[in-house]
Amino acid sequence: MKVTICIGSACHLKGSREIIKEIQDLVAKNGLGDKVDLNGAFCSGNCVNGVCVTVDGELFSVQPETAKDFFEKEIMGRL
Amino acid sequence: MGVTVDVGYKSLNKFTEILCGDRVEILKTKDSDILILADGMGSGVKANILSTLTSKILGTMFLNGATLEECVDTIVETLPVCQVRQVAYSTFSILQVFNNGDAYLVEFDNPGCIFIRDGQLMEIPKNIREIDNKKINEFRFKVKRGDALILMSDGTIHAGVGQLLNFGWLWEDIAAYALKEYAVTVSAIRLATAICHACDELYMFRPGDDTTVACMRIIDSKPVNLMTGPASNKEDDEAMVAAFTADPAAKTIVCGGTSATIVSRVLKKRMDVSLDYVDPEIPPIAYMDGIDLVTEGVLTLNRVVQLLRRYNKKEAVAEDFFLELDKPNGASMVAKMIIEDCTEIHLFVGKAINSAYQNPSLPFDLGIRQNLVEQLKSALEEMGKPVTVTYY
Repeated sequence: MKVTICIGSACHLKGSREIIKEIQDLVAKNGLGDKVDLNGAFCSGNCVNGVCVTVDGELFSVQPETAKDFFEKEIMGRL
Repeated sequence: MGVTVDVGYKSLNKFTEILCGDRVEILKTKDSDILILADGMGSGVKANILSTLTSKILGTMFLNGATLEECVDTIVETLPVCQVRQVAYSTFSILQVFNNGDAYLVEFDNPGCIFIRDGQLMEIPKNIREIDNKKINEFRFKVKRGDALILMSDGTIHAGVGQLLNFGWLWEDIAAYALKEYAVTVSAIRLATAICHACDELYMFRPGDDTTVACMRIIDSKPVNLMTGPASNKEDDEAMVAAFTADPAAKTIVCGGTSATIVSRVLKKRMDVSLDYVDPEIPPIAYMDGIDLVTEGVLTLNRVVQLLRRYNKKEAVAEDFFLELDKPNGASMVAKMIIEDCTEIHLFVGKAINSAYQNPSLPFDLGIRQNLVEQLKSALEEMGKPVTVTYY
């Protein structure tokens, strides 16, 4: 599974760093390092809401507070 | 092919003094680069006035083609006489390097110039001429690529005198140290700072005299092209990227996620965006074949401008500045390339407005690219780097 997280200017200001840290930690904690491929991405033009995260091409807007729920639902839930 | 130079200098003020009694002037004429170092007698305000007058007179007169005799005459006539010592006195060294490789060194009472070529010290022959009772050494020679020439005030050879070292730091030992640092540093400013820092240590961080090291390295020209922002008309994207990548000799930097995406699309090169937040405030960099450096845009450029301004305030440049410059975050990497690996810079600036940034809920005004570019341009000009800006 390929997950990309936007680190463009706007997403950075909305908390890319916290979300990356959270998801990296959760991936490690659940031993999913070989199943989940985490990548960075630059602006995909959808930065009006939260931080742009894609899971196998499908776009989501994530906030630092919702990162854990997002991980459980969209990443764990699809494996 | 013309000769290009990289010039940098570093001064330490005598302990407790606010002003430096040494003065460095860096000038460019149509066909040459001039480096002048003057050391005024005494310290503080008086020394500062003497060395400033001396370096400014020399610089202005040299620029206008005056002879050495005329310059020295003018200095002797102009300098105010010290009430304590009843003399008007400032030492000076002048180094002029012409684009065709001819070089002219004039030295009066400063420690001798350290001349490094091919990893060895070169001797500067004695050729003393007396002007107004001043014994002045002149040396005419040819420079070649890789040469380094180091001018110093006597604060260097007095470093540690009577404290850590009986007789101060001997010229031969400074030269040996310079040779060693020459091999491991890339830029003039880093070489000058390294020698100055060693002096500071020998003085146990309380310099007993104003101490200055000015360095000129003879290098190839190193153009840098920097692209930031998408073109205001999408149709111009290709032309912009083509111009940005046209010079194979130029290093290329892209600052901006959208810009990088455009470059990636036009050049058909894959881009890998790192997730590695080495600095919490600066978004990670990206990698693209054929582009030397890819970073986020305005937040990174904002930090770059701060670093360049810090560099322009010479007293703020010490070893810790270079530690900051060596950090692997995007802004330090851009600033380092501009400061240490660039002789001229061409900015390719897109004027498109990013609609996503017109968002009042963001804690930082991202719509300031053009303002930042202006600030970047003036900082670069202050550094003496020729800047060209092309808007799209």
